[in-house]
Amino acid sequence: MHPLNWAIVVAYLLWVVVDGIRKSKGTDTISGYFIADKSLAWWVVGLSVMATQLSAVTMIGTTGQGATDGLRFVQLYFGLPLAMVILGVTLVPLLHGSGVYTAYEYLERRFDAKTRSLTAFLFLLSRGMSCGTIIAAPGVVLSAIFGIPLAWSVALIGIPTVLYTMIGGVQAVAWADVKQMLLIVVALLAIVVVLVLQMPVSPNEALEIAGATGRLQTFDFSFNLDDTYTFWSGVIGGTFLMLSYFGTDQSQVQRYLTARSVNEAKSSLLMSAYWKIPLQALVLLVGVGVFVYYQFVQPPLLFNPAQEEVVLAEAGATYDDLQERYAAAFSLRETAALEVAAAEAEPTAEAAMQTFLAREADIQAIRGEALALAEEVTGQPSRDVNYIIPRFVLSELPIGLAGLFIAGVIAAAMSSISSELNSLATTSVIDFYRRWVQPEATDAHYLKVSKGATALWGTFACVVATYAATLGSLIEVVNRFGSFFYGSILGVFLLAMMPRAKGTGAFIGLIVGMGSVAAVTFGAPSISFLWHNVIGAGVVVFVGLVLGGLGSGDVPAADGSEPAS
Amino acid sequence: MTEPPVHESPRAVFRRTLVRVLVVQVVSLTLLGLLQIVYG
Repeated sequence: MHPLNWAIVVAYLLWVVVDGIRKSKGTDTISGYFIADKSLAWWVVGLSVMATQLSAVTMIGTTGQGATDGLRFVQLYFGLPLAMVILGVTLVPLLHGSGVYTAYEYLERRFDAKTRSLTAFLFLLSRGMSCGTIIAAPGVVLSAIFGIPLAWSVALIGIPTVLYTMIGGVQAVAWADVKQMLLIVVALLAIVVVLVLQMPVSPNEALEIAGATGRLQTFDFSFNLDDTYTFWSGVIGGTFLMLSYFGTDQSQVQRYLTARSVNEAKSSLLMSAYWKIPLQALVLLVGVGVFVYYQFVQPPLLFNPAQEEVVLAEAGATYDDLQERYAAAFSLRETAALEVAAAEAEPTAEAAMQTFLAREADIQAIRGEALALAEEVTGQPSRDVNYIIPRFVLSELPIGLAGLFIAGVIAAAMSSISSELNSLATTSVIDFYRRWVQPEATDAHYLKVSKGATALWGTFACVVATYAATLGSLIEVVNRFGSFFYGSILGVFLLAMMPRAKGTGAFIGLIVGMGSVAAVTFGAPSISFLWHNVIGAGVVVFVGLVLGGLGSGDVPAADGSEPAS
Repeated sequence: MTEPPVHESPRAVFRRTLVRVLVVQVVSLTLLGLLQIVYG
């Protein structure tokens, strides 16, 4: 990468760390450190919520998915706006008004200690491991692109994040998220501008080509439980997923607990309700644009440069042969694409389209052979969708803009990791250390423990990320296990709003809910994970209500302030 | 004279917010739908 690009990345990292540490003023109490003394404006919280959700995988993986699969992924978010509106009148007033530091703390007030501790433990288990994967995904890509050891790229992302999160607490995290979100949007818009300016055909012709290959197919109205990306999966399953994520996951709940008032907390979530789908569509359209651009500029046969190097060294002759065929097929497809763009009358346009699709199939067949060869030679999966956009950025974007985009990828990773580290530390200290180990201590003591917890979780995440390849199957198991209880935890919070529900019923419901989702996962593995959230929440609510008379529990007031038993 | 503040019920707030959010989503989804219909 050009030194100017590196300078932009380094300048960004320094700015985030220094400014984050400066934001540590007023964090000498646990209220300041964990929830910013409920002092943040709605737009700061709203951008922090969006930045937390938008990880580096969105920047490199989702854009890549747009290039290979088109816009249909956006259907996953169709339930988000409705979920945000529901949360605005249910859980947000309850949690914000009750003066808690964590969502799970509220469950003890409503039910009992065992329900609180189990949900908090499940959060620590799933988020602790996912934090490692959030660093690992961009770490692996940056390591391959720049030819640096994985440990370096993990350190490049992880160390600055741990530093400002540990020292500055939630204020540093929120204000860094604001900067990071703006940087991400600017980086995406910069690519759009470059694509429009450098595209060899007009925007209308580019859309014709994208449409011909099915990449502008957003909506799929089939009702298929096995497919994640359909309208109904998105609207129904997506609503439950987003209710779980934004309503019960401490990494998001803690964002809106920092808002100045309940109304500002609601407004912060509504920012996502308004902007998430357009933003996600923009991310995917960037990928679609890159796909069209590569119809006229020959892309690499393999996008992962590290794998390409190994293949060249160990199966050079076979790979050279594939590259020759690839160049010839590309030339034919380019001609066909230009004919599609030029054709206007219907019969000619249809014939041009058919020729183009046949040439495109040839290209995909050769790519398939190359990927199979890479898998055979390296012994590793060769799916290279995450490398498409970074390779495009580094080879096609002007100097400076490439650095801006790489900084944007790192920013996206940091904004998600910082919120997770912050929430992991909060849950560890509030739901376990203060609850079970040291209930009576000074703020100074809890602050010291909180900073230590942030550093420990950060180190753990970096170690998991560094050994992501060897820990691959373990991470997969934990992620899979995580999907068992996401919807079930939502079910517990839904029960918390129902006067009939009591503690033991909620606790047993949670266990039965997780068991049901596990049974569905293993019994009918083809059912999309989006439906697991619906099943988990439904079973917990059903069991909790059936066992309604068991255990203790106080009915919450509408604003969560005083239980009215 | 200033009007006294009118307090809306949670149900009314929910309905009003939902309508606004839905209007924005309908516009976004219509644009995506048009892309699919015109070019797809």
